[in-house]
Amino acid sequence: MLSLLILIPLLGALAMLLPVRAMFRVWFLCAVSFTYALIVASFWRQLPAAEWNGYLALDPLGLILLSVNGLLFLPVAVFMIGYFQHERRNNRIFTACLLFLMSMMTLVSASYHMGLLWVAIETTTLFSAPLISFHHNRGTLEATWRYLLVCSVGIALALMGTFFLAIAARDVHTLLLPAILNGASSLSVNWLKLSVIFLFVGYGCKMGLAPMHSWKPEAYGQATGMVVVLMAGGLTQCSFLALMRVSQICYKTGLSGFYASILLVTGVLSLVVPAVLLLGEKSIKRSFAYSSIEHMGILVLGLGLGGIGIFGALFHMINNSLAKVVMFLTAGSVAQKYGASHASLVRGVIHTYPVTGVFLLVSLFAGTGMFPFATFHSELLIINAAIISKQYVLSGLAILCLAVIFIGIAKVVLEFAYGQPTDPVLAKKENLFMNITIALAAMALLCLGVWMPAPLHRVLHDAVTLIGA
Amino acid sequence: MTLWIDVSCILVVFLALSVLATNRIVGMIKIFAVQSFILSFVPLFLHADAVSGRDITLSLVTMVLKAILVPAILFWQIRHISMRSEIKPLIGLGTSILFGAVLIAVAFWVSLSLRLPGKLLSSLVLPCSLATMLLGFMTMVTRTRAITQVLGYMVIENGIFLFALSLFDAMPVLIEMGILLDIFVAVLIMAIVLNHINEEFERTGGSAGRSKTGETV
Repeated sequence: MLSLLILIPLLGALAMLLPVRAMFRVWFLCAVSFTYALIVASFWRQLPAAEWNGYLALDPLGLILLSVNGLLFLPVAVFMIGYFQHERRNNRIFTACLLFLMSMMTLVSASYHMGLLWVAIETTTLFSAPLISFHHNRGTLEATWRYLLVCSVGIALALMGTFFLAIAARDVHTLLLPAILNGASSLSVNWLKLSVIFLFVGYGCKMGLAPMHSWKPEAYGQATGMVVVLMAGGLTQCSFLALMRVSQICYKTGLSGFYASILLVTGVLSLVVPAVLLLGEKSIKRSFAYSSIEHMGILVLGLGLGGIGIFGALFHMINNSLAKVVMFLTAGSVAQKYGASHASLVRGVIHTYPVTGVFLLVSLFAGTGMFPFATFHSELLIINAAIISKQYVLSGLAILCLAVIFIGIAKVVLEFAYGQPTDPVLAKKENLFMNITIALAAMALLCLGVWMPAPLHRVLHDAVTLIGA
Repeated sequence: MTLWIDVSCILVVFLALSVLATNRIVGMIKIFAVQSFILSFVPLFLHADAVSGRDITLSLVTMVLKAILVPAILFWQIRHISMRSEIKPLIGLGTSILFGAVLIAVAFWVSLSLRLPGKLLSSLVLPCSLATMLLGFMTMVTRTRAITQVLGYMVIENGIFLFALSLFDAMPVLIEMGILLDIFVAVLIMAIVLNHINEEFERTGGSAGRSKTGETV
């Protein structure tokens, strides 16, 4: 079943390369995404068996990421129906890369071998690069270049870390995760420490954690909303899965404290940096990009705190992806209507487009973790974990940063929504498909905020026991 | 056969230093090709008494991808005259070599404190691969042209690859191939993006490559 789930989008990607009409490709993408989501949903009833000699296996951690992928691709595909009604550019490479990405993100979720995991994550970087430069202009190309270079070098470090892990696990003779976890006592601790540092820096770079975040505002600021949804909600969390795998290994070898200290420092830094940089920001996509750095920081913080924090982090993975759907699809729909996403060109959206304007406000609350939305709960759980483990300074700092980030984003979004109206340049009407997608994602986030379904709770719980702590 | 591995390791570091100390792009690509060529023989030296099909495959794939195709892509990328011109590094060539020597010393010093579990064919593999990586980083940081940054990245990858060879049994050959292929595709996509950037700049008549966000390509 797993290899089928990897193959379907892969074959779909090849089919996209055939010369057909642009809209046909979009509908085809919808069909593939829908099938994909159905198969993933069936995994919630029963986890599929391991395949390829144990190289592919799905555990609750992978299942969460896989569900996140399904949750991201379906709305993006539906949104595209609306988007490509106004977009004349040829979408052959775009849709093909999108499906390649889907296939590789599935491989990330299901890979149980640290080397295979690296290959899959590196491939996601490569196939997301052409997506960023969908609109060929100076800005997008520069952003693509920066993304490609920073992430490639970062991922190269992760490769080195993987090799160090192979040295540490020399007696195990393989990098299959269960074998490493079973043979944890025979791992060489010094090499493992070195490996953990390299893996963390490498995958953290791909995740856009604070000191390695420089590509993020550029790439997210320039790419189309739909692409950013997949990057901010999906790709970054793929790397987070890698960090969680490292966490699993560290827990078994008694290096939890060492790893946790790295995670906490980076997590706090990823909250402080966007808080500082957001205040002068005028572009909506760039400020949402800083918010994405913040959310990554929250994830890492939760993982570092352990216990209820891990539960919060896993829950936040789902919430973050839904919030990103709302935020970046709204930003994308605004950008398509006005041909810009800078506050000097776009103001008073709520007067010209009431629905999109309301969505802007919703994305403000969903993205910054305000009450009825589920992001509030997961952030609360993580801060709760900080207080339980008596990290008072850390929790205080985190709350302060979250407040500052709220102000920073509110400033931009409110100016967008309520400022003196400017004339839209390109599209004249609201689009039904776009709006339904955003509304559904916001509803889902709202529902998760007030009620957590029992199966979700069970899977999150199982995943927490996998990481340990 | 340890002798041959030692020789290859030293040559790889030496060529990495030469990349750092060259200021013509064509020259840099050629040196990189030679480095990859030498590297592709290392799998054969590893099990000299019984060269398996796996060693030969890895060696051939490395040679084709890294020593032939990647340089070919890079040459394709710089086919315009303007790209072949001399490049001005941020720090002078003499200083670069001096820094490079320091980096090599650092790599050897660091690897003194890293004890590899189990026996290793050559004690030079670890320090040399670290040195190559550091020199690659140095190339990336001190050169301003995009193409030289790609070259720096490839030198880093060569350093990592040299290291990977020393723990051959942990990685199944398919994964090794996946890694090699990924790196090749990375260079291909980088070259395509660079090509688009060049076209865009020629079309819009931009020269300095400084955008409104204040970033240089």
